This record gives sequence, structure tokens and C-alpha cells, in this order.
Amino acid sequence: MLSRIIGVICVLSMLFTFLTGGGAAASEAILTGAERAVSIVLTLAPAMALWCGIMQVFRRVGLLEYLSRLLSPLITLCFPTAAKTGVGREELTACITANLLGIGNAATPLAIQAMKAMKSAHPDTDTASDDMITLVVLNTSSFSIMPTTVIALRSACNSADPFSILLPVWCASLVCSVMAVTLCRLCAPLTRKRDIP
Amino acid sequence: MTAAYYLLPILFTCFGMLLFFSKHPLYDDFVTGAREGIESAVKLIPTLILLLCTVSFFGASGASEWLTSLLAPLCEQIGLPSELLPLLILRPLSGSAANALAADLFESAGPDSFIGQTASVIMGSSDTLLYIAAVYFGAVGIKKSRHALPVAFAVMLFCIFFSCLLCRVML
Repeated sequence: MLSRIIGVICVLSMLFTFLTGGGAAASEAILTGAERAVSIVLTLAPAMALWCGIMQVFRRVGLLEYLSRLLSPLITLCFPTAAKTGVGREELTACITANLLGIGNAATPLAIQAMKAMKSAHPDTDTASDDMITLVVLNTSSFSIMPTTVIALRSACNSADPFSILLPVWCASLVCSVMAVTLCRLCAPLTRKRDIP
Repeated sequence: MTAAYYLLPILFTCFGMLLFFSKHPLYDDFVTGAREGIESAVKLIPTLILLLCTVSFFGASGASEWLTSLLAPLCEQIGLPSELLPLLILRPLSGSAANALAADLFESAGPDSFIGQTASVIMGSSDTLLYIAAVYFGAVGIKKSRHALPVAFAVMLFCIFFSCLLCRVML
């Protein structure tokens, strides 16, 4: 699916590059894209290392276990397979907690940890499981309590009240997260194959 | 509200106290975990190179301007300011481009105008869809993503319109 989207975007972009005659700009942009990928990883890597390390420690002292019991109704609702088998439950809890608390740069590392944990249940398949999809969709409709980037941007542009958007953001995030989980659970049986639980 | 910024330092202090008091080999645990983190970050590079080359090709081609002019009349019909369209098109593709566009909108229309606030709500309640899907699935070698992307796009589309509606009603 992702490869098809990339294909469509490439063809569309090529078409417009011909139409507008922006070949030079396009070739530069493609190379800049590759550079940006590496620089994103460079900014991501420290956060990944820090959060994966901290999580390992929290897991060892039993904090994750405690948290996941606390959030277990939510986990059961969103990730039924993980809740039932216990595989990836702690990682999912950590990821959701980080998102709820708005520790922005922890979301990606912890979500990747959760994906890895869920994948470990089916190491040989290249098909996504129901819970993995729910996690991806849930994260694309970002459910953070503190949208720090936007608020920082707003104050940088001299907003009279940078926080005025919080209430609508919470409403929108809540409704969209509920919708994300509902749609994921409704669609899951439609695309399920025999070998995926 | 600034209390939220104290979360990370507090959490990190708790972590430090754990290291101090616990009898477990927590220092080694941290190092092991951090090493895994670095490894997964490095493994992401190929996936991200493919994605970002495509996205920045799209950004440079002018296709986004064309889509904007195509969709503008439709948006005005449903009461969505067409100034927001470039943001809506780039939001699922590129986080940095969306940030730059939001900053432009804040400059031109003002962060407290209807456009500025709607842009803020859209930015705050959605995320870079393609990046997240590529990174999450790429990190564990998932190729068949089943209904993930269609559902994610549907939710994002709904989220955008719902954000505009909320801004009309609440602000």
C-alpha cells in the first residue's frame, strides 16, 4: 500500500515537473529529501536511545506492569489481542501514557518498541496484525494532551493566547481517537486472512 | 499550563532516584535499552530516505498548488477557507512542510484569526500520516499493511473537517 502511494506521488510529481519545467528544482529536492531522512534519524536517535533505555529500567522495577494494570480497560478496548495474550501490553501502555502526558519525542520510540513486541508474536509474517494497525491509526490522529509544537509556533507568532486552542484540540483528538479505534475494529475482520489472529 | 513542561524533568529525576536506590542492575538495563534504541533508529534510514525523497519531489513539483486550485471552489462551498488547503494537502505527507505552512498562515492571517486557530487545531489533532505508517511498519518489516492506510486517511479527513466545525462552533 505504501509503495503504491509512493508510486502515485512520483508519477504525479513527474507530470507537474514537466508541465512547470522545474526539472532542476526537482532533482535538487529529491537529493535534499535523502539528506533530510538522515538528519531526521539523527534527531530521532537520541530520543530513541533515551526512551528505550528509560523504558527498560521502568520495566525492570515493575512500573510498566503496574501502569498496564491501571490502564488495562483502555488497552482491552483498543488492543484486544495484546490484552488477551499479554504480548506487547506493557509497551503499548508505555506508548499510550507518553502520548497522554504529551511527552512528544517519546511517542515514536515507544511506539516502535510496541510494534516490535507485537511483531515478536509472529516473527515470520510481513502482514500487519489488527493491533499494529490500531496503533498506527491511533498515532496518526495524535491524541496528545499538550500539542507543544503548535503552541510554541503560536507564541512565536505573538498570539494573544497561545493556549486558546487547547479545548477544541482535545475535543477533536478525543472524537478522532474514538473514531480511529472504532473504524479499525470494524475493518479488521474484512481484511483478515487465516494466518493472522 | 506550563506545568506540563515539568513532566520530563520530574520523570527523569524519578529515574535517577531508581538508579540510586534499586538493587537491580539498572545501569546496565539502561545501556542495553538505549543501544537497542539507537539500532532501531539507524535501521529506519533506508525507509525514510525513500519516503522523504518522494515527499520533497512532490513538494517541488508544484502538484500541491495545482491540487489547491482544483479543490478551492469545493472548499469554499462547504465553508472551509481555501487558505487552509495547502496545509490540508501537506499535513499527512510532511511534518516540517506543514509546520512551515502553519507558520506562514500565522504570519499572514494572525494566530488568533479563524484561519490561524483552525490551522492550529488541525496541526494539534493530526499527525504526519505517511511518516508514521512508514516508520512504524518499516521498523518491524511489515509490507502488507491491510486496512491501515485507508482507515488512517479516512480518520484524518474526518478529523480535519471536524476541527473546522469545532472552530466555527467553539471559538
